[in-house]
Amino acid sequence: MQYALLAYTPPEDTDRTTRPIPDPLADRLDRPDITGWARLHAAETATTVRAEEPPLLVDGPFIDTREYLAGLFVIEADDLDGALAVAGDLLRHTRPGTAIEVRPILAGRFR
Amino acid sequence: MTLEVVFRDQWGRVLSTLVGILGDIELAEEAAADAFAVAAERWPRDGEPANPTGWLVTTARNRAIDQLRRRQVLAGKTTLLARDLELGQSAAAAGPDAATIPDERLELIFTCCHPALARDTQVALTLRTLGGLTTDEIAAAFLVPFDTMSKRLTRAKRKIRDARIPFAVPPDHQLPDRLSAVLAVLYLIFTQGWGGGRVDLAAEAIRLGRALAELMPDEPEVLGLLALMLLHDARRAARLRDGRIVLLDDQDRTLWATRELEEGREVLRQAMIRGRRGPYLIQAAIADLHLHVPRDWPQIAALYRTLAALTRSPLAELNLAVAIAEIDGPAAGLAIPDRLDLAHYRYFHSTRAELLRRAGRTGEAHDAYRTALELARTEPERNFLADRIAETAPPDAARGPARPG
Repeated sequence: MQYALLAYTPPEDTDRTTRPIPDPLADRLDRPDITGWARLHAAETATTVRAEEPPLLVDGPFIDTREYLAGLFVIEADDLDGALAVAGDLLRHTRPGTAIEVRPILAGRFR
Repeated sequence: MTLEVVFRDQWGRVLSTLVGILGDIELAEEAAADAFAVAAERWPRDGEPANPTGWLVTTARNRAIDQLRRRQVLAGKTTLLARDLELGQSAAAAGPDAATIPDERLELIFTCCHPALARDTQVALTLRTLGGLTTDEIAAAFLVPFDTMSKRLTRAKRKIRDARIPFAVPPDHQLPDRLSAVLAVLYLIFTQGWGGGRVDLAAEAIRLGRALAELMPDEPEVLGLLALMLLHDARRAARLRDGRIVLLDDQDRTLWATRELEEGREVLRQAMIRGRRGPYLIQAAIADLHLHVPRDWPQIAALYRTLAALTRSPLAELNLAVAIAEIDGPAAGLAIPDRLDLAHYRYFHSTRAELLRRAGRTGEAHDAYRTALELARTEPERNFLADRIAETAPPDAARGPARPG
């Protein structure tokens, strides 16, 4: 069984791009039971794609408390347009009404 | 050329070249501002360089390299290191009068108008980066506090950098969608300009439109938008009299800017030759038809029908109603607005009111003018509507005075 752990930080925490990951945490990220991790850019960098025809692009994160976080994808793309194209393609095969938030990854490791 | 003129003309060009080199709008802006400051100090003393743009780009680039070196020392090894080294090499290779500077304004305008940015932000960022307007000026033009605008712009520039919004002209399959977003932003800047204020946004939009037409001379919609803006703007001086809106038929034609009209018509002609009629080109053609005496209403109606079919916009239908009223009488025209869902739109009520008045349905016209007044945004609009409300008031004045807007 695998689990996803989703870490939330206060919105005013804005210097994350320049601040290193604290050493004790960095040590834990190397542990074998952690099969992957990602540090995300701030919520302001998010773009949301909604399943409409054509897909609707919205500036900002997907926030709607009536919805639930149903899954996550980790993808590789050259730039935001590339990532949005993948998100748009995935959306066509998800439940109607799904939205995918595209958030750039600052640093991470996956295996 | 004074430095101010160079600044207005060259800011977008210098900045976009720097963004192309540095990949970071914030850093590019700082460097460009520094270079213009150095120019302000040196040019009056030493004379203007033979190639002002090349001089500004080189100076800014060197400033940016210094800046990156300092950051590098401060922050240790960063991803900027690789760029810095590359940059140091190319800067050494290029002389101060590099005659061939790439014009990357097109890339920058598509970046600023990327759909992953909110529309307000696209507008503000385009004015800042390509127009060189200050944050202060943009905040004043859009009636928001300086801090709000400043945060919005900073956030957008960081999103472009961190989410890696491409600095590129979109590929062919995306171009029509993305170009229409760019044109919508320019037209929004233009229409916002009617309010007046410290910055002449209409002139700014026309300037940006000219730049876009120069960069994409074969896109009929780019030319169509430029023609549309020119044909509207040429009548600007005649649109107001004694603080009131003057309708087209009542305008003093000697106040129209003849050269701007001629330019608008020429651009329209150029656009027509290229075929493919999009919404801006059609609107420009209509704007041109409106200037002829007598007006060719059947032709205008035909174009509004095409526009309505193309855009499915209720606004096109509303305008069609006006043309129909001219051809078949106000009653025929009124059938159209009665089936439109535009109650939130200020000109819906004034247009309907005008048709009702002409149809002799004075009481209904009076009510519609009052609704329009509640939605009116500018003083000249309110004054115009107040006059109409007074004209259509019932003789016994039982309804009471019009509420002020």
